Amino acid sequence: MLDRLRQAQAEDGRVDAQDLQRAAGEFGWPVAAVTGSASYYADFAEGSRGRRHVRVCEGTSCFVSMRGQHVAHLEQALGVRLGECAADGSVSLQGVRCLGFCYDSPAVLDGHQPGSGQTLGGLFGDPHAAERRTTPGWVEPLKMRAAEIPYASAVQRPVVLAGLVGNEGPWTVWPVVVTGSPDQVMAEVAASGLRGRGGAGFPVAKKWSATAQEPGPRHVVANGDEGDPGSFCDRLLMESDPHRILEGLALAGFAVGAGHGVILVRSEYPMAAERLRAAVAEARQSGHLGRRVHGSQVDFDVEIVQGAGSYVAGEETALLHNVAGLRADVRARPPYPVSHGFLGQPTAVNNVETLAAVPWIVSHGGAAYAGLGHPDEPGTKLVCLSQLFGRPGVYEVEFGVPMRHLVEDLGGGLREPHTLRAVQVGGPLGGFLPPDQLDLPLLSRPLEEAGVALGHGSLVAVDTALPAAAILWHAWAFGAAESCGACTPCRVGARRGLELAERTRNPARVAEALTAHEPLLEVLRVASLCAFGSGVSRAVRSLLRIYSDELRRVGE
Amino acid sequence: MRLSVNDITVEVPADATVLDAVRAAGAVVPTLCFDKRLSPQGSCRVCLVGVAGGRAIPACTTPAAEGMVVHTDEPAARRSAQLALELLVSQLPARALDVPAERSELVRACQHFGVTQSRFDGATRNQGIDHSHPYVKLDRDLCIACNRCVRMCAEVQGTFALTLAGRGFDTVVAAGTGGPWVSSPCVACGGCVDSCPSGALSEPGLLDPRPISRTTTTTCGYCGVGCSLQVHVRDEQVAAVTPVHGAPVNRGHACIKGRFAHAFTRSRERLTTPLLRRGGRDAPLEPASWEEALTVVATRLAAIRDRHGPDAIGMISSARATNEENYLAQKFARAVLGTNNVDNCSRLCHAPSAVGLTASFGYAGGTNSVDDLDDTDCILIAGANPTEAHPVIGARIKQLVLRGARLVVIDPRRIDLADMADVHVQAKPGSNVAVFNGIARVLLDEGYADEDFLRARGSGLAELTALLRDYPVDGTARLAGVQPEALVTAARLYGRAQRPAIVYGLGITEHAHGTDGVRTLANLAILKGAVGTSGCCGVLSMRGQNNVQGASDMGALPDMLPGYQHVTDAEIRARFGRSWGTTVPDRPGLRILEMFESAIAGRVRAMYVIGEDIAQTDPDSGNVRKALAACDLVVSHDLFLSRTAELADVVLPAVSFLEKDGTFVNFDRRVQRVRPALSPPGKATPDFDILRLLARAMGADLGCQTPADAMVECATLTPTFAGISHARLDRDGPLHWPCHGADQPGQGRLYLDSFATPDGRAALAARRYLPPGEQPDAAFPYLLITGRRLEHYNSGSMSRRTPNSRLRPRELLDLHPDDARELHLAEGDLVEVTSRRATVTFPVHLTDTVIPGELFTTFSFPDTPTNALTSDATDTETGCPEYKVTAVSLHPA
Repeated sequence: MLDRLRQAQAEDGRVDAQDLQRAAGEFGWPVAAVTGSASYYADFAEGSRGRRHVRVCEGTSCFVSMRGQHVAHLEQALGVRLGECAADGSVSLQGVRCLGFCYDSPAVLDGHQPGSGQTLGGLFGDPHAAERRTTPGWVEPLKMRAAEIPYASAVQRPVVLAGLVGNEGPWTVWPVVVTGSPDQVMAEVAASGLRGRGGAGFPVAKKWSATAQEPGPRHVVANGDEGDPGSFCDRLLMESDPHRILEGLALAGFAVGAGHGVILVRSEYPMAAERLRAAVAEARQSGHLGRRVHGSQVDFDVEIVQGAGSYVAGEETALLHNVAGLRADVRARPPYPVSHGFLGQPTAVNNVETLAAVPWIVSHGGAAYAGLGHPDEPGTKLVCLSQLFGRPGVYEVEFGVPMRHLVEDLGGGLREPHTLRAVQVGGPLGGFLPPDQLDLPLLSRPLEEAGVALGHGSLVAVDTALPAAAILWHAWAFGAAESCGACTPCRVGARRGLELAERTRNPARVAEALTAHEPLLEVLRVASLCAFGSGVSRAVRSLLRIYSDELRRVGE
Repeated sequence: MRLSVNDITVEVPADATVLDAVRAAGAVVPTLCFDKRLSPQGSCRVCLVGVAGGRAIPACTTPAAEGMVVHTDEPAARRSAQLALELLVSQLPARALDVPAERSELVRACQHFGVTQSRFDGATRNQGIDHSHPYVKLDRDLCIACNRCVRMCAEVQGTFALTLAGRGFDTVVAAGTGGPWVSSPCVACGGCVDSCPSGALSEPGLLDPRPISRTTTTTCGYCGVGCSLQVHVRDEQVAAVTPVHGAPVNRGHACIKGRFAHAFTRSRERLTTPLLRRGGRDAPLEPASWEEALTVVATRLAAIRDRHGPDAIGMISSARATNEENYLAQKFARAVLGTNNVDNCSRLCHAPSAVGLTASFGYAGGTNSVDDLDDTDCILIAGANPTEAHPVIGARIKQLVLRGARLVVIDPRRIDLADMADVHVQAKPGSNVAVFNGIARVLLDEGYADEDFLRARGSGLAELTALLRDYPVDGTARLAGVQPEALVTAARLYGRAQRPAIVYGLGITEHAHGTDGVRTLANLAILKGAVGTSGCCGVLSMRGQNNVQGASDMGALPDMLPGYQHVTDAEIRARFGRSWGTTVPDRPGLRILEMFESAIAGRVRAMYVIGEDIAQTDPDSGNVRKALAACDLVVSHDLFLSRTAELADVVLPAVSFLEKDGTFVNFDRRVQRVRPALSPPGKATPDFDILRLLARAMGADLGCQTPADAMVECATLTPTFAGISHARLDRDGPLHWPCHGADQPGQGRLYLDSFATPDGRAALAARRYLPPGEQPDAAFPYLLITGRRLEHYNSGSMSRRTPNSRLRPRELLDLHPDDARELHLAEGDLVEVTSRRATVTFPVHLTDTVIPGELFTTFSFPDTPTNALTSDATDTETGCPEYKVTAVSLHPA
């Protein structure tokens, strides 16, 4: 359905009532369900699109790097305001969170063509671009360039990056394993102690066996909705080693007895979707997917579904709504997707990074994986370092290493002339650590006790130049823009938070705004329906721990 | 399982939620997104309670667990719940808290927490109102995005017209494409309005903040579903009608008619005084006093009786009147006039059901309670369009299908339910017997018949098996104009089901061989052993009017006394005669259409018509007019000056169901109380009182001072109703008949031990397919089907006098686009429809819900008098007219 709406949008730049009726008719859906979807996803809801559609990243790293100036530059260069479409329909500009170029912020996506860095891939290199754009028939020459994702392994035996840095090709275990027993896969994954890498950290084997115990048909879904601004490791995997994800998904499907796999890729990652689709086609050709795979009794195939602009779609119940083309609203659990998932059937949902670890685990044995990392949290994790670091990029590290190791040894500290004020860990729902807390280990429990969540493992450096009010505003703006609206605390509370953040810009109202934060953060933490509301609360609270003195000083 | 709530131990079932446990403990936790009728959502977060460990959990979605310790006053949970509520309030304009508390759960939740204003402030909604719909009024600024309306529309009504639109702070309900509500697929069932906790969705009478003066619980007077309704009255007008949440039949649901279409009660066109023609037939109807009118009627009826004999008078009783009124009407005909010439309009709809079901099973009604549908795994629906004609049952069927029940639809039109059916057997009108015989043959051939059941409890298998040799699938499918696979699929779905149910309507009965249709349909349930067995779902007949079951039950039939006791049985006659102090005539009287024939022949000289617009609703209405013209006296009771009343010599102003006391019997034989919610306008009087007064004017006493007395008298004379009384209904709620004693329950699921046929067995019927009475030919090549549309009801006399007319202001003729192209007709063009009897002009509506060559319309609008066209053929056994098949030609007007 989302593809159908994209097609309608491609025709004349918008999705109108007629499009909704037509799409509903073709799919045999109630039109209201289509309306609900089209009005939910940012890609459709934010008005008309021009023939040229530019998406600019408003993620944390881009915000920190440019203080939002890149958006203003772009507005000027394109002659159109953010969120609007030129009257002649030539160009439109959409703000998105985020494009996954945090290692080379800021970033832009012109159609499907990415550009990154201070000049946005050269877009700002041509001062006359805006003038020329208005000349009929003139097409701007393609000179956008984006930096590739730097990556490295900081472990002896790379697991997730085994293909990219370790020359361990994909599809080595699948042809062998698929003719055997699913119990073997399940046993190795159980022995490995692998937990979900999307942020919640649920034991993978437990989720799989719960799914396998439900009556079929069953499904496996890969969560490629890497929504956390600051994180780009899933993009790296999907674009550069898609077969590893497919193999991991196939092994998951085999373990739970599912014949059908889905990978949801966010619309902000068009290249990832393209590469995954190509990989699926190759895998079918090579006989890894399809009917009676490698002469076994196993049927398994994968479809790639593209999202349409929603952070909350990364939450598993919302993700399943997204896969179905519905509004990506969160719903209360239980029932969990392991019993009521895709099409109401048992479904195991795993993050793509989680799945990318599975082939290595099956190949090298669960025990080998369990030997990595920390006894409390075995294995490795990809961490993403943002543009302000000296050496930004994706690193595979073992659990338990000190955060300072990541920031200083791997990241090389901040690049000149910046001074570190805080590290945002785990995206907008994670939280902020001040420099003096960097001796904490990369482990969920100690980080949680310090008031931050590891989340998907992104580290965004925030320097001293960014005013407290700006970072507070940014945190709430994200919450307000991405709240799905299902539950009261988050639906109304995120907007109230944004309004309070705006008040802190007025020195006379800082104290009042800070006091008013207390009940708001409390209700978001205690009463939210999913981890989004409580995460925003946690992140803002940790931010206030670092910045409230500065905010108060402004107030005085 | 056991758990503790506020230190009270409660025992709850295994699937209970914490909220169930809290309520079981008598504790109060406010809820906003929760509605018992819907799956819980847990999104408003005001029902947070504390559990051991200091965690706050939403009570409505958290499963209760053994040993759980719950505290509703746990400070952190309570504080967060209150904060959530305050956040919610901070988004709304101040007027949100001005809504009267009894109409706003939000206001009541604020009262619970002592919230008068929010500690949060900031932007409020600014999304405006939508009053485009006559009934459903949306104030987006009061929306709390609880999703109840959306779930109601999906889970209870099955229409899926609503959604939440937008996201985050701006999330708000939208209908259809998000345009004006009136242009959306909303069917105005009122479920969303009923569920809305904040007043964002409301209705005209409840937007007025003045309090309701009184509320009366009664039974709906529209279709035969029998919904329990609460009628809220202010200033002696209906302010609102809402469904009774715990009611057994409708379970808190209603439809556009029952819920909203009540304005007719205060229409300026209501008759408020008797009318009569002082200067003979050609003189105008003039207002008269009750005394004058009753004297005229009494005198003239007596004169006709004395001069031409009692059988020169025909009485048509009303399927919209109460049981007590029908009882009194047949008593009046038999005891005061001395004739069995009394009939009711079930003759025109479900007489074949009464006869067919009696012959197959024993009683003249459906075999099961509608509650049994909850357990069905396959519904076979034939000749019924419940989503329009019986919307609450249509919604129930959708719920069942969404829950996984299979659905077989047998109907010449692609009705709404056909879209969600596993198979749609789109058989030609008039081919029912062939279709059912074909399915029966597959059931037997493929081993789906329950041989043990047939041996022990059935009869007629040999004859049926022999007959079915002539109904192989291919040939039968050809007769019905369907693919053989469709028949086979239908048979297999029904045959493989554990608990299949049959639901049928007038598409089965209103045929020249309607009784055969009922018998051959009943065969399927008997073959499958799906009737009279434990856990069975049986056969349910959808009744068109509110009390069409009751009118016949009460003996407003020419050959039956109350409870289907034969008038030819001397012993029974004697029992009634003793009670009534008279002799009950022994010869069966005339059926409705026979009365018309007799009138035209000069044998019937007076027609006494209660609440029925025979000149509009009976078939071949030219003939009806001729009959009325031939009579010396025509008396009509009605709410309005109907086409029939216009032709009457005396018109007596009657009252609507909202102004009456008594009972109705719904389609699943449930006797339910009807209570007056309004006082009648002017001098309008219930049929019950009119009949009593008229009897007195004729020097007779009908007894039965009150409707309750009439029910008592009926119960003493009628074994099947022996246990039914107003007092018991008021105390215990609705009762199914048969109910054999005051200490015995009503029987919902019938025949568990034995069928009520003479030999105690379910009788299979070997009936051949015979062609319909009307056949298309070169001169009349199209087939016209008649039926009902959602917004209107029968003659439309009630529904047209409500804002339903804004939603459907006129009648249209449904025509397939291919036929339209051939005739060069576009949407809305006028076309002359000519049958072998008359010509009527309709605007056309192009739709592929009819197949080429077939047409559909209703008879709800007097300016498009469809029944001038309809067939004069009738069911060979019961005289029920063949409304469903009329050969016509089309000529662009």
